[in-house]
Amino acid sequence: MNAFFSGAGLRRLRVMTHKELLQLFRDVALMVFFLYAFTGDIYIAASGVSMQLKNAAIATLDGDHSLASRELASRFQPPYFQAAGSAGTPQQAIRHLDDGDVMAVLDIPPRFGERLARGEQVAVQLQVDTSNSVLGFLASSYGAQIVGRYGLEVAALREGLGSGGISGPVIQADTRIWYNPNQNDAWFMGISELLTVITLFAILLPAAAMVREKERGTIEQLMVTPLTAFQILFPKVIAMTLVILAGTAIALFGVLGPGFDLPMRGSLVLFFLITALYVFTTAGLGLLAATVARNLAQVGMLTVVILMPMLLLSGAWTPIEAMPEWMRILAWISPLHYFLDAAYGILLKGTGMDLLWDSVLAMGLLGVVVFGAGMRRFGRQFG
Amino acid sequence: MKLQRIIALAWKEWREIVRDRLFFSLAFIVPTMLMLLFGFGLTLDVENLPFAVVDHDRSAASRDYTYRFISSRYFDFKGQASDERQLDTLLADNRIRLALVIPPRFGERLARGEAAPVQVLIDGTFPMRAQTTQGYVAAINSAVSLDNMARALSAGRGVPLVEAQARVQPVKLEVRYLYNQSVKSIWSLAPKLIMLIMMLSPPFLTALGVVREKESGSIFNIYSSTVSPGEFLIGKLAPYVAISFTNGLILWALAVGLYGTPFKGDPAFFALALLLYVVCTTGLGLVISMLVQTQVAAMIVASIVSIIPAVLYSGMLLPLSSLAPGASAIAHALPPMYFTNIVVGSFLKGVGWQALWADMLVLAAYASSLFGLGYLLFSKRPSS
Repeated sequence: MNAFFSGAGLRRLRVMTHKELLQLFRDVALMVFFLYAFTGDIYIAASGVSMQLKNAAIATLDGDHSLASRELASRFQPPYFQAAGSAGTPQQAIRHLDDGDVMAVLDIPPRFGERLARGEQVAVQLQVDTSNSVLGFLASSYGAQIVGRYGLEVAALREGLGSGGISGPVIQADTRIWYNPNQNDAWFMGISELLTVITLFAILLPAAAMVREKERGTIEQLMVTPLTAFQILFPKVIAMTLVILAGTAIALFGVLGPGFDLPMRGSLVLFFLITALYVFTTAGLGLLAATVARNLAQVGMLTVVILMPMLLLSGAWTPIEAMPEWMRILAWISPLHYFLDAAYGILLKGTGMDLLWDSVLAMGLLGVVVFGAGMRRFGRQFG
Repeated sequence: MKLQRIIALAWKEWREIVRDRLFFSLAFIVPTMLMLLFGFGLTLDVENLPFAVVDHDRSAASRDYTYRFISSRYFDFKGQASDERQLDTLLADNRIRLALVIPPRFGERLARGEAAPVQVLIDGTFPMRAQTTQGYVAAINSAVSLDNMARALSAGRGVPLVEAQARVQPVKLEVRYLYNQSVKSIWSLAPKLIMLIMMLSPPFLTALGVVREKESGSIFNIYSSTVSPGEFLIGKLAPYVAISFTNGLILWALAVGLYGTPFKGDPAFFALALLLYVVCTTGLGLVISMLVQTQVAAMIVASIVSIIPAVLYSGMLLPLSSLAPGASAIAHALPPMYFTNIVVGSFLKGVGWQALWADMLVLAAYASSLFGLGYLLFSKRPSS
């Protein structure tokens, strides 16, 4: 390791890094997809996807045809709902739901208006297709709000609790959504996709570079040179980190910034430093996998084994609060978990090192442990 | 096209796969592992949401109100915050996702029969979570409001509380959840996981298998042999289709046995659809392997081509109805969406040929065109 600090050691690192970069750029198909992943793929994910209930088709089974029933049905409006007209008969309504033509059916019973006017309590039914449970929840939640509000207005009018609108001892919530007030899905999806792509390349590229040397036997050539294990492994990580940082810059300033007005509220220098640390840590995982695998096909499968749990457990796609306790503990050893906090923190919340130091520290520690373990295994295999 | 040659090739490929023990076991371990991991972990439920409260009122009413949130399983109370400034830090540091600010004179206003304002702050970084949170908060607020109104009415008019409750809520909404009556995420998720995992694993396996021959140069043996391109492709892919189809059946068994998802459809119909879908995704791996020269590139292309559409454009996490036109076009151009219709139909809705024949037809067309494309791209006389 002493050679690392001497001039010759630095030169060796530089030369080896150069070699890795050359090797990488010569795989044209790989570079084309690399560029696509950091541009087109992120663009599509950010522009095309929304997890919100928008214009859900709702049909009405109006058994009453009174002023009151029409009033209630007409309140299911965009942006959440879109009236799909009358459902016809109950059988037809079920068919529409089966075929996925409508997402919900509002069933208003006969004599709805009459009974309301007489002061009775009337039940209306909302049938919701919950094949997609998130949408199902949102549809029934908005439906409940609409019907609840209508009911309160009727009650207020009837009981003389207020004229026009609701008054009385109610809770008036002033809801503010921070960091993304317009609920722009592109910000979340875009960043999430960027982090996914970074993770994919950070694991796969160094691992594949390593195993390719093993498979072709060129590793033996490297072993007979004066290079230490560290000087063989580290340049691979440096080269991939440089390339991935370049890709990240393209994605941020070429796609997410101009295309989606991503705010980037915090320090970008800090963001890139943390990204570099994250790539280093994750590359360590890839190298560790490479010491286990004997050929590229094995690396490919091992990458899936590492990548998918990381993406899932860290909350890149789903809220992790609802996961079982033991899975949340597993998330602590996933570097992506910390990177997500840092990336959303810096880009959307404008957080600085004062709040992020713990995430960065944890990520750094993980990196040292993983990289150290990879080096040890590598040293034993080829030492 | 000779059957004997195809069998010989398939046998050779099979032996090669089985000899690489790590690869062979991973081929089966990966799908099962993903199914377990996603099944237990990939929940879109929003629960245990950490929240804090700033209570400027400190009255019995404000404590009651806070308690409504504390006792809900959707929220996880992290304590009282001293002021709004502290909430800023807590939200920025991801320690809480929701904050309530109860202003002074909250209880007093309610007691006088006036509306009482409350401030709700939600961390909006994850819009889906923010929307769901908003739904929960709205539900609690309207329950509290109704209770207060009923109590006021009961006290003011001297009517019994039960009657007052009925009178402030003249319209009652009964929600019936169809196809998945408990809105349990796992029921709607498990069938779609079969779609997702069968989209991830086969292209990977296949692309690696075919490109491996290219990279190691053993493909020249094929080039110089009497084997025709069609025989090579079918023989080469048959073992991967067999492995993936077996995996698909294992996943089906896990969905039904482990997660208890009801299977209401026709098993034969489903098995046929699964086979077609597996042929599609294997064919995708084939086309990828024709286009790239190295295994690294094959892995990258396979993961980008398969993961993103399977997760984002299949209707699994995201409603297809809310896709933008461009993304919707991509969704319609790829097989996962059609297979999602089939799995959801077969598992949860119990519909068969009658409702799903069109999706089945698309899958069949897809499978054959991918093989056609692979056939066209495969040349026994490479240019380089």
